[in-house]
Amino acid sequence: MATTSSQKLIRCVIVTPEQTVLDTKATAVLLPLDDGSRGIASGHAPFIGRLGAGEVKLLGVAGGNGGETTIRTFIDGGFTEVGNNEVTVITQHASDSGSIDPVEAKAELAQLCKQKAVGDEQINVLLSAESTARARLRAAQKNKK
Amino acid sequence: MANARALDRRRRSVRNIRKITRTMELIATARFKKAMDRSVAARDYTEQLAKILKNIAAVGGDLSHPLLISRPTQRSAVLVLTGNRGLCGGYNSNAVRQAVGLLGQWSSDKTKTHVTVSGKRGINALKFRGITVDEEHFDFEDKPAFSEVAPIGESYLKSYIEGDIDRLDVVYTKFVNIGKQEAVSETLLPLQTPTDEDASVSPVGHLASEEYDFYPSAESILEEILPASFQSRLFKCFLDSAVSEQVARMVAMKGATENASGIIKDLSRRYNRARQSQITGEIMEILGGVEALKK
Repeated sequence: MATTSSQKLIRCVIVTPEQTVLDTKATAVLLPLDDGSRGIASGHAPFIGRLGAGEVKLLGVAGGNGGETTIRTFIDGGFTEVGNNEVTVITQHASDSGSIDPVEAKAELAQLCKQKAVGDEQINVLLSAESTARARLRAAQKNKK
Repeated sequence: MANARALDRRRRSVRNIRKITRTMELIATARFKKAMDRSVAARDYTEQLAKILKNIAAVGGDLSHPLLISRPTQRSAVLVLTGNRGLCGGYNSNAVRQAVGLLGQWSSDKTKTHVTVSGKRGINALKFRGITVDEEHFDFEDKPAFSEVAPIGESYLKSYIEGDIDRLDVVYTKFVNIGKQEAVSETLLPLQTPTDEDASVSPVGHLASEEYDFYPSAESILEEILPASFQSRLFKCFLDSAVSEQVARMVAMKGATENASGIIKDLSRRYNRARQSQITGEIMEILGGVEALKK
């Protein structure tokens, strides 16, 4: 905490129906909102927002040996509540971005692209599945670099 | 007079049974702890959802969403959650009794019902009572996963919105505390408005709702959050059932073990008595023989 003590921290909690995946403090949190990502630092004005598929990035989390690390977690949609110097992310699935296999993610996307949908509803479902798969692939590739 | 050897054999078999019930009790205890942890871990999600819903309700004034509108019930769906295995006291039969009561009510109202049952025990019991089970699930044990429950919830949501069902009741065993679990039927669809439930979620430490901004809008969030809220409630029913089943099995097996100990004690006493009288009889015979030889 030596390096971060001078900076103000914000608490970030990620919950899924099965468990609380993450509960930690960071200097800033990047959220994938429905319509683009948004950065939250300490003292952000309160809001409730809808999330799209993408990575939640926590910057400046105190690491084990006094350093700072970045935590990336992939989520597929959900909600967020920001307020009281706290970010709560509510999502159905959350997984560590590092655990996603880029090859697998790519294959999944390719398979979705091949599928055909008929009717508005099916098309919407397929489109959202495709965008989730794309976000997954992006997260996996970014993490690999 | 009872045969000493037969009594001994019985005692041995009761001892084996006691070993089994004792092991089952220990297993159920371990599983109960795990199931309980999962149930506690899931609570956060429900609470957070309820908090957001409450904030939206406070801002949006009147909430209107297809999932909140209650229609006259013409077709109803019932989901019954029971266990795959027995030896857990009244756990399965209580849930089945509750389900039969509810189904009887629907059939006397001439309401069409779609019955879904999870757990072998419940399926067999309901079929035995002449109730048609439209859908069966076997794969929910002590660790129901959200990814397994979600598709079931999704299909209910779809048929509710499309008007195929007007109401969904879930019959499950609610976990009140470790000493009390009760079979209940809960109406999950139409969803109750968030304002009259979850009043227990304390607003302490949270901002007044007026201060929140909504991205993109309160309505659009509501549209997404209501299905999520339904899913989390359905999941909670599954978790509760799993916890209750383990508690019920634990209690039943504890009772069985104690009972076996009592039977062993009783059999031991009878065995010793029979053995003693057998020995006495033999001595008497020998003495009789000696007397006969003397003559």
